[in-house]
Amino acid sequence: MASETTVPVLLPEPELAPPRRFRTLRDLLRKKIALLAIAYLAIFYACGLLAPFIAPYGLNDQQLTVETRLQPPSADHLLGTDRLGRDMLTRVLYSARTTVVFTIVIVISGGLFLGLGLGLLAGYRGGWVDTAIMRTGEVLSGMPTLILMLAITASFRGRINSWSFWLEDHTFLGDDSKTLVKFTIISLATVPFAWLGSSRIVRSQVLAIREQAYVTAAESLGATTPRILIRHVLPGVMPLFLVGLSSGMAGIAGAEVALSYLGLGIDEPAASFGNLIGDVNGTRFFEQYPYLLVAGAGPVILFLFSWNLLGDALVDVFDRRQNSHR
Amino acid sequence: MGPGLAGYIIRRLLWAIPVLFLISITVFAMLRLAPGSPIDAILGQRYTEEQAAVLRDKYGYDDPLPVQYVKYIGNLAQGDLGVSTRHRDFTASEIIWPKIWISTQLGLIALVIVFGLGIPVGVYAAMARGTFIDPLTIAFWLAIEAIPTFVLVTLTSWFFALKLGVIDLGYEGVWTPNMIVPVLVMSLPGVAGVARFMRASVIGVLGEDYIRTARAKGLKEQTIVLTHITRNALLPMITVIGLSLPGITTGSLFVEVGFGIPGIANESLQAVLAPDYDVILALVLFGATLFVLANVAIDILYGFIDPRVRVGVGRGQ
Amino acid sequence: MSNKMLTLMMGFVAFLILAVGVVFLIALAGGGDDDDGSPADGDGENNRSSTSGKICDGKSLIVPGDDPSSVLDPIQVADVSTAEYVVEIFGGLVTLDPDLKVQPDIAKEWTSSNGGKTYTFKLRDNVVFHSGTAKRVTANDFKYSIERAADPANASPTVLAYLGNIVGLKDRFQNKASSVTGVKVIDETTVQIDLVEPSDFFLSELTYPVAYVVDKEQIEGNARNWTQKPRGTGPFQLKEFKPAEKIVLAKNDRYHLGVAKLDEVVFELAGGSILTRYENNEIHIGGFPATQLDSIKSGQNPLSDDYREIPEMAVFYFTLNPQKAPFDDPKVRQAFAMSFDRQNINTVLLYDAYRVADGFMPPETPGYSESIKSYSYDPVKAKQLLQESRYAGKLPRIVLTYSGSGSAAPDLLVAIQKGWSDNLGVEIELQAVDSSAFLREQRKGQFQMQSDGWAADYPDPEDFLGKLFASDSSLNYARYKNDEVDALLRQARIETDRTKRFDLYRQAEQKIIDDATVIPTFWPVTHTLVKSCVKNLPSAALVIPKYRYVEIKDD
Repeated sequence: MASETTVPVLLPEPELAPPRRFRTLRDLLRKKIALLAIAYLAIFYACGLLAPFIAPYGLNDQQLTVETRLQPPSADHLLGTDRLGRDMLTRVLYSARTTVVFTIVIVISGGLFLGLGLGLLAGYRGGWVDTAIMRTGEVLSGMPTLILMLAITASFRGRINSWSFWLEDHTFLGDDSKTLVKFTIISLATVPFAWLGSSRIVRSQVLAIREQAYVTAAESLGATTPRILIRHVLPGVMPLFLVGLSSGMAGIAGAEVALSYLGLGIDEPAASFGNLIGDVNGTRFFEQYPYLLVAGAGPVILFLFSWNLLGDALVDVFDRRQNSHR
Repeated sequence: MGPGLAGYIIRRLLWAIPVLFLISITVFAMLRLAPGSPIDAILGQRYTEEQAAVLRDKYGYDDPLPVQYVKYIGNLAQGDLGVSTRHRDFTASEIIWPKIWISTQLGLIALVIVFGLGIPVGVYAAMARGTFIDPLTIAFWLAIEAIPTFVLVTLTSWFFALKLGVIDLGYEGVWTPNMIVPVLVMSLPGVAGVARFMRASVIGVLGEDYIRTARAKGLKEQTIVLTHITRNALLPMITVIGLSLPGITTGSLFVEVGFGIPGIANESLQAVLAPDYDVILALVLFGATLFVLANVAIDILYGFIDPRVRVGVGRGQ
Repeated sequence: MSNKMLTLMMGFVAFLILAVGVVFLIALAGGGDDDDGSPADGDGENNRSSTSGKICDGKSLIVPGDDPSSVLDPIQVADVSTAEYVVEIFGGLVTLDPDLKVQPDIAKEWTSSNGGKTYTFKLRDNVVFHSGTAKRVTANDFKYSIERAADPANASPTVLAYLGNIVGLKDRFQNKASSVTGVKVIDETTVQIDLVEPSDFFLSELTYPVAYVVDKEQIEGNARNWTQKPRGTGPFQLKEFKPAEKIVLAKNDRYHLGVAKLDEVVFELAGGSILTRYENNEIHIGGFPATQLDSIKSGQNPLSDDYREIPEMAVFYFTLNPQKAPFDDPKVRQAFAMSFDRQNINTVLLYDAYRVADGFMPPETPGYSESIKSYSYDPVKAKQLLQESRYAGKLPRIVLTYSGSGSAAPDLLVAIQKGWSDNLGVEIELQAVDSSAFLREQRKGQFQMQSDGWAADYPDPEDFLGKLFASDSSLNYARYKNDEVDALLRQARIETDRTKRFDLYRQAEQKIIDDATVIPTFWPVTHTLVKSCVKNLPSAALVIPKYRYVEIKDD
């Protein structure tokens, strides 16, 4: 598209451009970080999906004797054992599975796509579409998220059994029914609040971009709405949306961990980092068995960290591409 | 402020009324239909039908739901938020306001730290773009952001109270040294988000024509950074700040529970678990009202800072 | 140029950090009087450092507390968390001493006549209600208090259970009479109480808050808010009550049984890490988590000297609903009772935090007998019983509900679940529910299996067996019905010879346990840390008024 690129390109590359060698170093470091993050995420997702096949022990294999419980890491138990003598590595793998499934479920169920799509629509169309979307958003976002999430999960908790038993008897799901029901409940508690922030940011960006000369020009040249959205508005919105998406992933995974930590998310018979950490958290306990908290919380912290890094790197790459367009 | 804007504000505020109604109805219904009730919680193991009837009558749970709701709204209109059943016979107002105040003070301090650190860190990273300082700075804050609060609470209280023995952990008021660690735990994880946002924003501005023009005109770098870059990069930040404002009143659950701060998040959790109908409703409505007001305020601010948006809004209606 | 920028920005960051620091410092300097200035706090506590000396100065005891889940009204108390405060603020005719013996409180002496069916109490003439007016407590106040407790409009959850034996009380409670005829004012300092049937444990029942005396003038003057500043006759009066934040009790200078040595007891309600705060010398009394008892019992922990085990007059048990499959078959119940190793779980998992319950009543209860035996761990026999049962090979799904909102299921339950799985091949499901929903399920008998607990209100077998297992008791949530047990309990209730009475309870208890509708698991123990400068803190298995004995004194 000529209209938006011609003018800026006439200007010389700003003096801001750093010396060459720094740039190389930066690129290298940046890429390394992003690569590390991607590698870790790939391992995490693989481990999570394959948990039942690669876990060295059964999830609830207890060995309740003085010698076999609260062990430090060893060859038999790479991450040690917990209070009931269960293998921590196994519990971590199964918890990763919960996290993996949950993040996928939420992204697919559209929390973030809703965020982008509705934000674009609201910002670009304006008028009643904007009003409807944004007021609906206000209805939802006006509610204090935490209390609502708690209230939703708490009010459904009493019915978990009847629903999961029904599923168990009437569908092919069998033992996974209960976990599925719990997933559904925490998804219900998370999705309504997952799209608001990003859609609002997207909308405000769209509002600003829409007024810029190149979009107005494209409009006056008779470009269709989808075309304008995709070709002109979306690229401008993308960086901020990606910030939202990537930190959103961490936020979504974090919400599940937090709800489970409070006992309102995923619990027995499935495992979750929330109650895994809940088991080994505590100042004194940490002093006595630091390896258990490290084993329980470390993997999920790295997971969230990796998502954050990846999102950050994505933004940067995207920004550079956009800048070079100009 | 032109007549168009005034009309716009009024329309926005009028919109708030049905929104609040919807919220209150939804939450009211959700609470009443959930299993378990305050009566069960109050009477515990000694529940008998007679006593339950007396209490239901006392708290007005006997009426059909719509009647209860209408009565509730009627009382609300007179400023009566209802009664707490968890803290029996304290009114909901007596319970929530002191706790909201505690959380708000802490939240405000945390907010100042988050933005006070986040904005300069973001600008700093953006200006250092191209050196290794930029990714390292951001990565550092991202790492802190990734630690779940309840783990951070354990680690900090172990380190500062047990290992170093330099702080006390009990709550003795907001403006005491005991609150330094809780406030840091509340604020530090938020820095990364603000810094990243600011950094992206600054980088966006750096590519703008007027910056190039300013540079071409040979303006001093400080002037460019402070007046042109930072000022313009702060524009999208207004949304973020504005939207964070109502959030400071709700407190941080894990910090309050972990450090034993009698704030509103702590109370919310207990109220939901109890359940404590009127307190939950009061909290939800309070939060919602604040949020709606903040939204209106943001839109108005936008109108002042970037007149183009105001025109846009006007055209959109 | 870019370097200049970096310097500038770094300067800005430094400035902000500095600014935040300065704000804090200013706040600290002014922090002393800024906060809810209760004057007695002032003596050097604001500057509490980590030196252990500070906390042993002064006469203010700081302890972690629970939010009362009921109002501070004696007739509404039904839970330990509220009773803790009510017993300090209020008082009745009689009270319990640290050895759990019934002692005079407002009554200085009493006689029983008419075959144990009439009690006559002579009151002290120097007992006054809290507050400046110093209104004297008379026989009329007791008449009013019991009438008030029985008033159906007040819906006391406990009056029928503890005072139901008083003549006319049941009628009043069911609105069939306008007063309680069994309570008579003889003169200003004499109260006579008539009972429907003789009772050896009536005095014990009178130690429960529902029988405490309240101030008519205050209640009728301020019906709604009086519990926020209640006037009782106890050793302490309520000075400050900030829900979920703190409760401050101040000593009652005119207490008739000896004024407390402490000026104040501060209960901190907001939670937080109690152990860390204890170690940090912020509180006088702290709990010790069972998960780390090994270090303290082996004496390695520096806190070992402060550690105290306080047995509770309470019991943990499973209730197997005899009206729901598969537990309508006694063999299934017995199989469940025999197939988890309580001893191993207690020793290994809990570092002997509890005591394995051989019977239902813990050893602290009067009338406890060592001869009671509960089912011991016998996986072979258990498996065999399950085979013989009606449900052999076709057990329905079994759900064990427990009250809780913590993160994971308690280790204890997970370990027991594993026992059933290993020994019986039965996979039961653990289901956490909120306490109010748990109680509702319990009341309606909808559960199959629950993890329960019972803490005594007064020290007598009646409070365990009569209350929980008599088929006509409103607290019999296990739906337990055994005619023999009913007969024994009824006989015991009216038996006035203590030895004979306890023997009847012993027979009933063994039958109850044999029926395996309840499986007692553990008798709990409180693990407490008490600073060495806190003297004379009673270690009672029940909630009793205890802070009046306490003194803070450095050796």
